[in-house]
Amino acid sequence: MFYVTYMLAELRRRLGRTILTALGLGIGVALVVTVTALSNGLDRAQAQVLEPLTGVGTDMSVTRPIDFSSTGDGGFPQLPEDERRQLQQENGGGRFGLRNLGNPGEKFSRDNFVSTAQLSFAASRVKEIDALDGVQAAAGGLTLNSLHVEGTVPEDQPQPGQFGPGSGGGPPDNIDVTSISVSGVDQTVKELGAITPGQIARGRYFGSGDARQAILNESYGSREGLGIGDTIELAGETFSVIGIAETPLGGQSSDAYVKLSQLQELSDRKGRVNTVYVRAESADDVASVAALIEKTIDGASVTTASDLAERVSGTLVDAKNLAGKLGTALMAVGLLAAFLIASLLTLSSVTKRIRELGTLKALGWSQRLVVRQVTGESLLQGLLGGAVGVLLGLAGAAAITAFAPSLQATVSSAAGQGPSFFPGPGPFGQGAVEETASEVALGAPVSLALVLAAVGLALFGGLVAGAVGSLRASRLRPADALRHID
Amino acid sequence: MPPAYVPPMPCDTSTEVKSDVNSSEHHRPSVYELRGVSKTYSLGGGQVHAVKAVDVTIDEGDAVAIVGPSGSGKTTLLQLLGGLDRPTAGSVLFEGKDMAAMRDGELSELRLNRVGFVFQQFNLIPTLTAAENVEAALAPAGKRASERRETAHRLLGSVGLGARVDHLPSKLSGGEQQRVAIARALANEPHVLLADEPTGNLDTETGAEILELLMSLSGQRRTVIVVTHDAEIAARAHRIIRMRDGRIQDSEGAAVADAAVA
Repeated sequence: MFYVTYMLAELRRRLGRTILTALGLGIGVALVVTVTALSNGLDRAQAQVLEPLTGVGTDMSVTRPIDFSSTGDGGFPQLPEDERRQLQQENGGGRFGLRNLGNPGEKFSRDNFVSTAQLSFAASRVKEIDALDGVQAAAGGLTLNSLHVEGTVPEDQPQPGQFGPGSGGGPPDNIDVTSISVSGVDQTVKELGAITPGQIARGRYFGSGDARQAILNESYGSREGLGIGDTIELAGETFSVIGIAETPLGGQSSDAYVKLSQLQELSDRKGRVNTVYVRAESADDVASVAALIEKTIDGASVTTASDLAERVSGTLVDAKNLAGKLGTALMAVGLLAAFLIASLLTLSSVTKRIRELGTLKALGWSQRLVVRQVTGESLLQGLLGGAVGVLLGLAGAAAITAFAPSLQATVSSAAGQGPSFFPGPGPFGQGAVEETASEVALGAPVSLALVLAAVGLALFGGLVAGAVGSLRASRLRPADALRHID
Repeated sequence: MPPAYVPPMPCDTSTEVKSDVNSSEHHRPSVYELRGVSKTYSLGGGQVHAVKAVDVTIDEGDAVAIVGPSGSGKTTLLQLLGGLDRPTAGSVLFEGKDMAAMRDGELSELRLNRVGFVFQQFNLIPTLTAAENVEAALAPAGKRASERRETAHRLLGSVGLGARVDHLPSKLSGGEQQRVAIARALANEPHVLLADEPTGNLDTETGAEILELLMSLSGQRRTVIVVTHDAEIAARAHRIIRMRDGRIQDSEGAAVADAAVA
């Protein structure tokens, strides 16, 4: 206790120096806290942008993109016969000729579900994926475009008289085409999928019964003037709107969500899914699980959250790069300067106390005790610097949160996804894939771990300074120290 | 030889401030034996021979004054006696053990338990109270806090500062500060008390009081060695060792026969 009393008394006596050292260390540590918090904030902002792409809690999604290089004669030659037939039926369904609709001048109305960029696969594959090592949970999903075409069969039919995916032209003037992207959600696996209960802004998530329910995306709902209690029509069936989901950042969402089984039935894709949402047992497993899935499922393409991160651009990414490079350099320089200041001030303090340290030796203090005293004072100084640093860092982080401009993030569509005449499913089985820019508010969250790390750094700085001072103190010969004139 | 002296100061207790026992009878064991001790410093590229081939024996319980002009080597000699420095040549035997052969740790131990120092500038730690300054000498001995406090208060009482234990050095007069330093030097009941110009920073009256206090501490097994250039101080010692140019010029008093005149 005597030693601590002495240490505290020394710090009080040299108050100016103590404050200066604490400030020096504090500023260095504050830089680390602020830059790290900023970096965390940027990571969080990126995660926010990616969240709608990945699905909440989803580590990866499995799709089966169309391989255009192998859709020659008969298409899908690498697949078994029944699988090939199914896919031809699904993807051929998107085309229809006007000549088949009826006689010229007759009214017609058709509903079709098309998928452009992804092939479906049997829902039993979901179970296979679920059973793989390292997979914690898997849920199937089906994302399609519901295409409603109505109008009058034209008198003068265009040649070759068809439109649809892959055709070059648009529909004639007297024919209305409405398209709505729909995702089928397996409501039995609530935590995984195109939409989860956490994303519901108003209303509720799907119930367990057979009622035809739909959840609308917020932006689609407001665009179409639809809200809870209203209904939407899909392929002639009426769905009541029970919930409104937040418009995710990045804008990549489906317009409407319905129960998977109902969408499968409506779209004539019973037992078929085109996206599997997978959560790995641990973040470290993601890469190995992705490889395993690609090996197990023919033609599967696994997209992980980190793949998507590479597709984000805009000021968010610029800020991230800046924080990554300049921020790290700033932290390093700041800390180095802080440690240097603390060391020099400690050294100067030891030099000013040479006679005192000599007296301690004359009183019988061992070398070890003198060194411990000097180091202890520096550590206390470090603790003080840590406290100052955490306070300044918190202030810096709060200032960033309060005053930082919002950043723009652009998420580009997946490469090699094929043509998308119609808005097709996104990389994680979601709807629109157009490049969309989002505004993300920048925050700088400070965690307890960061605070502890900051204090640890300041203590380390104190230790470095103490070591420098102690080295000086330990080299003192008592006789010389006593001769020293303060 | 001056008569035994009881200091005229308001001591709470006389346990530490003892009246002298006359030690003029010989054959007391020696506390120090110096044989051919030299100390040379390097200074500005040259060599300074601070102490040159000193042979001297100092007996237990003696009150010794080392006198001489500035630069005569008396402070260096005192530091060699206190184990603060090592001789360049020769040997310093303390209670029969060669200090030159002791490791740093052993010398620290010796300074802690056997030797007490009193300095001209008092050398109190300015941030600590009078009692804490005394505790600074007790803490390395591993004494418990309560024991340390009790000892510090008792010692400060014995030098007449019972009411000033919680004062910082800056709130004490020069004489009071030197008394704190003496109490601190006595903390671990040392066999030897080494004082370097203890009255050099004090007015005549206070100096005389401090001197008398110091001299009264010799006797029994405690040896008091005072470095001074004040003839009055020297006159109160049992024995005077005069130094000039690093050598002992002469030694008078009880152990004259033991002092080698270089």
